[in-house]
Amino acid sequence: MRCLEIHDVGFSYKDGTIALKGVSLGLEDGEKVAIIGPNGAGKSTLLHLVAGFRMPFSGEVIISGRRLDSDNADTLRRDLGLLFQDPDDQIFMPTVEEDVAFGPRNLKLDDIDGRVARGLRSTGIEELAKRKPHRLSYGMKKRVALAGTMAMDPRVLLLDEPTSGLDPRARKDLIKLLRSMDRGMLIATHDIEAAAEIVDRAIVLDVEIVMEGTMRDLVMAREALEKVGLEVPPISKFFGVLDAMGYQVENLPVSMDQAVAELTKVIEREGKHMHAHIHEHDHAKEADHAHEHSRGHKGQSEAD
Amino acid sequence: MTALHLHDRMFEVHPLDEHASESRLGRLDARAKLVGVLAFVVASALLTKPELVLASLAVAVTFAASSAIPLRHTLRLYLGALPFILLASLSLFLFVGLDNGVAMWARTSACVLALIVLASGTETFELFSGLRRLRVPAIITTLLMLTHKYIGLLTEELSRMTVARRARGFLGGRNLLDRYALKVISYTAGMVLVRSSERADRAYEGLKSRGFEKEMVGWRTKRIAAQETLFMASMLAASVVLLAVQMELVG
Amino acid sequence: MHIPDGLMDPLVAAAGWIEFLVVLGTAIFLSRSKIRERNLPRVAILSAGIFVAQMLNFPIGGGTTGHLIGAALFAVMVGPVLAVIGMTVVLLIQALMFGDGGVSALGLNALNMAIVAPLVGWGVYTLTDPIVNGQRRIGRGISVALAAWASVFVAAGACAGELLVSYAISGGDYGIAANVSVPAMLGYHAVIGIGEAAITVGLVSYLFIISPELFSAGEPGTAFKGPAKWFTSNTARATAVILIVFALMIPLYIIYASEGRDGLEQTMEEAGTGEGSPLLSAPFSYGETYLQVLLAGIVGFLVVCLAALTILRLLKSPTRRNDPG
Repeated sequence: MRCLEIHDVGFSYKDGTIALKGVSLGLEDGEKVAIIGPNGAGKSTLLHLVAGFRMPFSGEVIISGRRLDSDNADTLRRDLGLLFQDPDDQIFMPTVEEDVAFGPRNLKLDDIDGRVARGLRSTGIEELAKRKPHRLSYGMKKRVALAGTMAMDPRVLLLDEPTSGLDPRARKDLIKLLRSMDRGMLIATHDIEAAAEIVDRAIVLDVEIVMEGTMRDLVMAREALEKVGLEVPPISKFFGVLDAMGYQVENLPVSMDQAVAELTKVIEREGKHMHAHIHEHDHAKEADHAHEHSRGHKGQSEAD
Repeated sequence: MTALHLHDRMFEVHPLDEHASESRLGRLDARAKLVGVLAFVVASALLTKPELVLASLAVAVTFAASSAIPLRHTLRLYLGALPFILLASLSLFLFVGLDNGVAMWARTSACVLALIVLASGTETFELFSGLRRLRVPAIITTLLMLTHKYIGLLTEELSRMTVARRARGFLGGRNLLDRYALKVISYTAGMVLVRSSERADRAYEGLKSRGFEKEMVGWRTKRIAAQETLFMASMLAASVVLLAVQMELVG
Repeated sequence: MHIPDGLMDPLVAAAGWIEFLVVLGTAIFLSRSKIRERNLPRVAILSAGIFVAQMLNFPIGGGTTGHLIGAALFAVMVGPVLAVIGMTVVLLIQALMFGDGGVSALGLNALNMAIVAPLVGWGVYTLTDPIVNGQRRIGRGISVALAAWASVFVAAGACAGELLVSYAISGGDYGIAANVSVPAMLGYHAVIGIGEAAITVGLVSYLFIISPELFSAGEPGTAFKGPAKWFTSNTARATAVILIVFALMIPLYIIYASEGRDGLEQTMEEAGTGEGSPLLSAPFSYGETYLQVLLAGIVGFLVVCLAALTILRLLKSPTRRNDPG
């Protein structure tokens, strides 16, 4: 049984604006999927809808095999861990550890001490246990909220813009953290690079699904992305150029790690003849541009 | 009479909470503190004989002194209540006599001091938890806890706005006829309220996403142990003695 | 207007507690449907907002500053029932976090600031709004201003009444003599009320422009309209509310009437034999006069308002329907 299924879901605001239309998506246990789209595309609305906060909606949402409706929303929500974009929206207790315990206590779960400890550890904030949340930095607050969500042991995490507002270091740490988790998750974000590092599969959403596929498929579809106001990650663009120059890569990298891996492969494959390789194929149209620049450097190594 | 510009400093709404938990007083179960202090306050409010009132004031001052609360903080809060206290004390002094004036001053001061120690010597959430455990209805205590959280959030927003305002040269108005000042202050308050309301729907979802159902409860709660019993016993004893003498049940 | 413990006569304080609990209990009961989970955070957040708004200084003149009480504002925003609950929460927090206002005196403080103030504010606003609003754009401003000023003034009046009754029945042990308490409370708060009115009007107009959905009178999603259809029932409700405020003052008078006389005689006896003779004289009988004047004044004020409004309404009836407002 899939843990989450969304069939042809649609939702409109009270003033008639259509927020979502015909959205379908499936999520297996442990699978990580990104919902990518610009601001206002409905990503947040979709997550909140799945969590039972946007009723009535058209279509079906099936959580752990049960169909979501207004009567069972509270119960079904127990399998979900919704992480809000603004952590202040879901932190309520005066200390971090009490806040992490808040969820399990409300749900009357067992072993609260253990859950709190594990939640703090999995997000790396054990030393903040006795601190007051409102004094913490934004990035730390996001972790507190995540710890509290994890402590409830949800089957699926619904993350709303998890990397927004984070400084580079905090963002990197969070990406690493999410990547290491074995839980299924749906990540709504406009940060394509972060998504690329965490998920395998993604959909592009702009009220409707614009396209779906693996991250690699997505970054290849430059026009589709640009049409919804998104940009291909720089790394991918760069390798696109390289590819055109004749440096074919097996998989178009979408993240830094992938880029380094691919480049290493290319270098090993070509050995020291990389420079000569360009030289011999300087008739290729795509290489003209590069050739123009390299003309003045004939015979010299361009290893870097 | 409302407390006046002293409120300015209250932007730091939680200055004492950190100290509170360290002190001996702070570590007591909130229920014990509530019962003890409330008993004392109610008893003191019933005293009219000058000697008794002064005795109760002495108890209150001792209580305040033995807590870890800095004198400045206690005085600051006491000053907030002073206008009313002075008005009443002075008018009784002038119209009835010295005894009554002094009694009024001492009695109100004793009560205010005791309350200040309770308030500042206890972590606020703990205090509200204690109320709940003393059977105050859940809706009230949950509202108290939630409101407390949002006061913290909004105070931060407000101080950010005030700083920004001062940076743009707004120093506060001169008098009620200063329409520009009133407009700016209204605007500031308005922003606070608008932001407040926008949070409301998200707050509800935030609570529900954490499984909230009926009320907010604390996690780790203290028990009534020896210190608590000792504290309550001494406060109750003092209260009973004072009352007994007041009602002329005892010498 | 936060009264500390030990100031009011215990009997008055006890009566205050009883009235407070009865009204609060009724409010909680009435709000059952509105305050179901969904609105809990909303009330909490707005209470926090009022609390924080109360911390703002507004200048009175001569270097002093005053503060917004916000009861009328609250009532206009969420309706009388939720405003009573919310203001109670604010007062509780002030007492329990800062010792601002006593605990034995909480009943009276809540009566004045969490019951009388918002109810009077809402009542006056509801009664005057449809009348004045139809006139000009600033119509709503006038009704809000009246409501805010009245909420502060009447609350101060209630407080003054409690003070003078405490003084009279305790024979000078508690309370404040009538010839001080009444002018002090009413005079000071008449001025404060102006500031409250100005700020409340400013806030309401600003808020109404920015986010009119704030004024839902307790029903989320209800837009803020002049209550054309429910006019009659809202007027009835508002009048009832104001009458309730008066009903709340009656026990005070009863206490005075039954205890006051005894207190008077007893103290007159003691005064002759007491130690320090008072520097000034304030015969306790002043209390009776003041109380009567106080009540008469407030009743008179409201009767005159109601009469004027009824007349205006009758005159305006035909045009109001055509006026989009």
